[in-house]
Amino acid sequence: MIRYSFITILLLLASFVVQQFLPAFTGIHQSRIMLIQLVFLCSAVTVGPPTMLLLAFIGGFFWDAHCAIGPHGGDPEVYAQQVESLRFGYSILLFGAMGFLMQGIQPLFKQGKWQFSAFLSGIAIFLYLAAEYAIINFVRGDFILSQATFMQMVFTSLLTMLFSPFVFWLLFRVAKSCDHSINPDAGRKRRHAY
Amino acid sequence: MKPLNLIALLLFLGGAVWAFTQSDRAVREVQDLYFSAMSPFLKSGSKMETQARAFLHETRHSKALEIELETVRSELGRLRIIESRYRELELENERFRHALDYKKATHFDVVPAQVIRRQPTTWWQTVDIDAGQERGIGTQLAVLSNEGLVGKIDRIYKDQNRSSVLLLTDEKCQVSARVEGSPEVGILSGQRGRFDGNPLLRLKFLSTDAALRPGLRVFTTGRGGIFQPNILLGTIDSVEKGALDSEALVRPSVNFADLGTVFVVLSADP
Repeated sequence: MIRYSFITILLLLASFVVQQFLPAFTGIHQSRIMLIQLVFLCSAVTVGPPTMLLLAFIGGFFWDAHCAIGPHGGDPEVYAQQVESLRFGYSILLFGAMGFLMQGIQPLFKQGKWQFSAFLSGIAIFLYLAAEYAIINFVRGDFILSQATFMQMVFTSLLTMLFSPFVFWLLFRVAKSCDHSINPDAGRKRRHAY
Repeated sequence: MKPLNLIALLLFLGGAVWAFTQSDRAVREVQDLYFSAMSPFLKSGSKMETQARAFLHETRHSKALEIELETVRSELGRLRIIESRYRELELENERFRHALDYKKATHFDVVPAQVIRRQPTTWWQTVDIDAGQERGIGTQLAVLSNEGLVGKIDRIYKDQNRSSVLLLTDEKCQVSARVEGSPEVGILSGQRGRFDGNPLLRLKFLSTDAALRPGLRVFTTGRGGIFQPNILLGTIDSVEKGALDSEALVRPSVNFADLGTVFVVLSADP
């Protein structure tokens, strides 16, 4: 169990590296594959709450380090109404919230129905992006949602969701190599059938 | 709730609050550490992205490029002749200035750089360029292309020859701007949620009776301490009259979808 948890942390860190090689698809509404969030969401459903929260902290912390932009600068008398940015650390809470959402269907995953989790990872990515965009609107004032933004969120979620079976396959392989079962109910059912 | 889960939740919330309360300087230090660790992968990622874009561009426009190359070659020959004449005139001008004890009128020191990565984050309009601290670049410096203002330097990747540029199309990149042939000044910035192609910019805080018409050019005022004066920003596309002030939509002069070479302004003495 500890070995498996440790490897999921390493997988999450490795996803930060792979993310550097995944550019935005300009032809598909600037959508992208959000591998870091996907690895976190898939891992979240296979571990207990303490490990999930640790993953959420690491994921959110480094994601904010990756994305945060600097202060405006310039003369405050000229730029009196400066545009606010997202505060460093907000992603930690968003990652945590999405992790709890994924844990909500952990019983189904434990029964071996990983497909539901794969589908939910797409929904969770959409909710994550929607929440991020809503926070931007909240801190900057005025709610503006263009069709381009909506399409960007939809296609990013869909593209990312397509990769969730691969991440689950990887997690199953890791669990097997660690002699750890991430869906024990399914294993029990199989044994009953034999 | 199990005690272990409760402890984990409290630790998690404590960690989140700690992260929230970090100062800008501490955040920059965290980012420096993060990007230092990512440095080899960033380089490879940027290289791959640049190569992929170049390949796609080449396959799409190979015929057009051939024609363009021929035109550029002949234009280059013509410009070389003009340049040699220009150099002579510059030397002559310098001699005259020296003779008259004139001070140099302007000094505009720029560093050329290539765009190596586009939009590495979800919501912010940024690009990475292949010039950094080693070439004297610091944060909050203006970035230009031969068409006009591109944006400003937002972050320097420590010990790497690269930096991040916040584009003019981002809502957070505000520029003090004036409209040519009118007393109107305002703040120009990008619009939220406009990512496709060449989005329009918004010029805010104009007077209610602003006599503006489409086609008028918009320039930087030079106020605010970041951007030098008289840099072209774009042309007015339309004007929206409000009760308290007016706003204008501005078509940027720079083609942001096709950014290649940019210039970072190191210093510009008036």
